[in-house]
Amino acid sequence: MVPFIVYDCALLTRMSGLPAAVNLRELRQGVAACQDSVIYHHFFETPLRPSFDNPDYRNDFAVWTKLQLSDRVLAERLGIIDPYSFNNIPELRRHLLELIDDRLGEVYQVPSAMPGSEFYFMEATTAVFDTGERVEQPGDLAGAVQRMTLGSVYYHFLEARRREPVEVDDFTVWLRDLGEEGEPYIRALNSIDFYFYGLIDLRRELVRVLREVGGEA
Amino acid sequence: MSQPLGAYEGVVGGAVMRQLRNLGDKLKGLRVVHVNSTREGGGVAEILDWMITLMRDVGLDTAWEVIHGTTPFFEVTKSFHNGLQGKAVYLSQKDWRTYWDVNQENAERLRPILEDAHLVFIHDPQPAALIELCPNRKGKWIWRAHIDISRPYHPVWRGLRAYAEKYDASIFSMAEFAQPLPHPQFLVPPSIDPLSDKNVDLTPAEIESVRGEYGLDPDRPLLVQISRFDRFKDPVGVIQAYREVRKVSPVQLVLAGGGATDDPEGKQIFEEVLEAADKDPDIHVLLLPPNAHRTINALQRLADIVIQKSTKEGFGLTVTEALWKGKPVIGGDTGGIRLQVINYYTGFLVNTPEGAAHRIRWLLHHRDRIPEMGKVARDYVREYYLLTRHLREYLTLMLSVLSGVQHRVIQV
Repeated sequence: MVPFIVYDCALLTRMSGLPAAVNLRELRQGVAACQDSVIYHHFFETPLRPSFDNPDYRNDFAVWTKLQLSDRVLAERLGIIDPYSFNNIPELRRHLLELIDDRLGEVYQVPSAMPGSEFYFMEATTAVFDTGERVEQPGDLAGAVQRMTLGSVYYHFLEARRREPVEVDDFTVWLRDLGEEGEPYIRALNSIDFYFYGLIDLRRELVRVLREVGGEA
Repeated sequence: MSQPLGAYEGVVGGAVMRQLRNLGDKLKGLRVVHVNSTREGGGVAEILDWMITLMRDVGLDTAWEVIHGTTPFFEVTKSFHNGLQGKAVYLSQKDWRTYWDVNQENAERLRPILEDAHLVFIHDPQPAALIELCPNRKGKWIWRAHIDISRPYHPVWRGLRAYAEKYDASIFSMAEFAQPLPHPQFLVPPSIDPLSDKNVDLTPAEIESVRGEYGLDPDRPLLVQISRFDRFKDPVGVIQAYREVRKVSPVQLVLAGGGATDDPEGKQIFEEVLEAADKDPDIHVLLLPPNAHRTINALQRLADIVIQKSTKEGFGLTVTEALWKGKPVIGGDTGGIRLQVINYYTGFLVNTPEGAAHRIRWLLHHRDRIPEMGKVARDYVREYYLLTRHLREYLTLMLSVLSGVQHRVIQV
């Protein structure tokens, strides 16, 4: 049996170089002009960034639209976007622009933020490294996840879905190779609606469902 | 006094320790030099004190150099500081010459170690000109701006930008603090040290002795704001909020801070606060010495609710300190407080004394939510705002800068 290699990652945020947006039209300009890495950061990497989880929405565009533009209609439309359901970043960007354009066509006045509450377009670098840890048996996975950093949880369960094979987490890829033995664990992992969990809660939930399969609950 | 990395394992857990050591292994033996303008006093020296220890602990060959300056030099750099924060200050040719000359004298002394280092971190404007005076640099140079330069007085920024532009990268605490520069600008928020006197766990006896020292009633709710006596911290607004709450609840208020005596404006604000307090025995206005860290720690722990009703704020580390102690925070809707205080989760953001009073009353009415919010707050600070995260980001930054690429993912 090939062991599961535990990786870890550390995120470092940086300015994208684009000017900050003070209203919805400027947000649109930035979204249209930015690198894919900017869209990626504001949709996917928010859980790793040092900021408190926003309880309402999981992407920065929706949060800013709600809190700083006070446009709850657009915030709701942006907030429901599941970025993992898009095949690639250009598709996600196109959808985002369509929603913003629709809204700009509906409102009489362009929603604006107060000075000091602008949207900053950011991107990040993620350093990925082998931790030296290995998981030998599926029954050991719950304990291994319990010991993982949030960086490892993010890398193996969320970031993995953007890598080949897409839409699949690393644990599932490993468990598939184990045949029948891995199936109950795969079903347990698939039962998690991960998008609304912060990383601390996601780790807890992963441990819980994996332990249930292993009869440790 | 800084602690070795292992001392933090009990706070952040083994996984975080392993992560830092793994990152350190990738950088083992790297020669890193930090340069700032003082060994003691001030936030930058506090950060460097622990950072040097921890970087060495994970395997980096780290040095901390301090530039030597004259009184006129520090007067000029104080003006830089004010100018970068937006105050209109006049700097003569002679002032710029003083700045250059002191940097040149320091370059004569530091050039060998700086030019030989793999990575040099220059902290704040005082030593920024060293880059120009070390032409045979082997490694990468990074300028770390600890202050908010989002709205600088442009004649000052223009002069300093000429040096800042020469760096390979810069670091700011928040996106809101940055200025456009022609190199990667990384964002590394500040952090707190959970084992420092400001934040370390205290014994119940020590906490109770502070309660007794200041005559605080253990049977009534206590509101605490810790901050300098500064207009932007709105201490008078806090008193207004307290008076609103007092109409329905017998709360007590502590306003504690330091630094008023040598600052004319601070002294004036302090007097305004005393006047607003109007000798109310339940308003405790405390002017504390700069080293009263354990007293502040105890006051934060004694609080039922911590207030930071700033109208303008940098990151707001006093908020982080309070959240770490498991207290909900009622904070001004500004600056880094917005990153830390989430309505109904870790506290409430407010814009007015009335708003603060409303949220204090809400929390006193929903007492069971105070420990709930406090637990959420402490968990998040543990994950994101302790010095271990700060160190991790510096190590990641080094890997990123040394890799020479700006890819989204780098394998190390």
